[in-house]
Amino acid sequence: MSSFALPKTVVRTGLALFELWAASFGLSYVHLGSASLLVALAIAAVKAALVVMFFMELLHESLSMKLTLAAAGGLLAILIGLMIADAATREPPPLVPPGYPAPDVAKIPSR
Amino acid sequence: MSSSIPIRPAEHFENLERQAHAARLGMWVFLATEVLLFGAAFALFATYQVQFPHAFKLGVEHNTKVLGSLNTGVLLLSSTLVATGVHALRAGHRKVASWLVTATIGLGLVFLVIKGIEYGKHFDEGIYPGGAGHWFAEHHDRGLAEFWTLYFGMTALHAIHVTIGACVLGALLSSILRGRLGQENAHRLEVGAIYWHLVDVIWIFLWPLFYLA
Repeated sequence: MSSFALPKTVVRTGLALFELWAASFGLSYVHLGSASLLVALAIAAVKAALVVMFFMELLHESLSMKLTLAAAGGLLAILIGLMIADAATREPPPLVPPGYPAPDVAKIPSR
Repeated sequence: MSSSIPIRPAEHFENLERQAHAARLGMWVFLATEVLLFGAAFALFATYQVQFPHAFKLGVEHNTKVLGSLNTGVLLLSSTLVATGVHALRAGHRKVASWLVTATIGLGLVFLVIKGIEYGKHFDEGIYPGGAGHWFAEHHDRGLAEFWTLYFGMTALHAIHVTIGACVLGALLSSILRGRLGQENAHRLEVGAIYWHLVDVIWIFLWPLFYLA
């Protein structure tokens, strides 16, 4: 039996994953402010795409498999997107329910 | 290694190729449900992160960053090895494939051990799920209990998946060693490996959320 030749695609994908891993770890020590989470998640998304396309071989799969994952991803994006939109834009709950008289400020106990 | 046993498709499949396609589609549908399961947890994380950004930043800064990052490397390496193993089995190199699958399972166990060490460190500091423990008596920021509860919940759910993945790969390894799994039906290892990769993908997202940003 001939000796086993390492599959080039797998090796390249593995190396790219480790480079991105190191980049993500290094960037975590750089102060990027509020962008740091987005940058880290963007790198994670690229890594996940590499794993899904080349390790899980979705790139060469039939359309039925691609649609299955696209449906799950789409539904997930709607779920997370709407939840973030709600949490980020929600008004603080009113102290007085609509229709009730305004409270006597002097009687509200201070914390 | 024992010699290969002739492999036939299950009786309701015309040939092995169709059986392989059905097996892969079944696994992808299952993985879609897994994405939705973890997706709900990620959505919860996003909501609390938006609500308590300061507490979540404190939580991340206090987490075991080096161990968590090491674990990311462990899983990335394991995914690379099992992907190589699938190629080896397809090419008929059963012995190489069995060694690569063994190494993958080993790395899965290393991951679980490191995770256990991390949990031990948190417990020593008085950080428990649900905001229990003396650490929370000293750190009052609203949202810290939510951060650590989500951390324990999501990483434990993930660790259960790593354990299941290692068991699945263990069963497949046993099939390879007994000559029941080879070049003709390599799709069985493919399907197990796809599950392992998904476990890796989930960790790829857990890592920045709980350790980095």
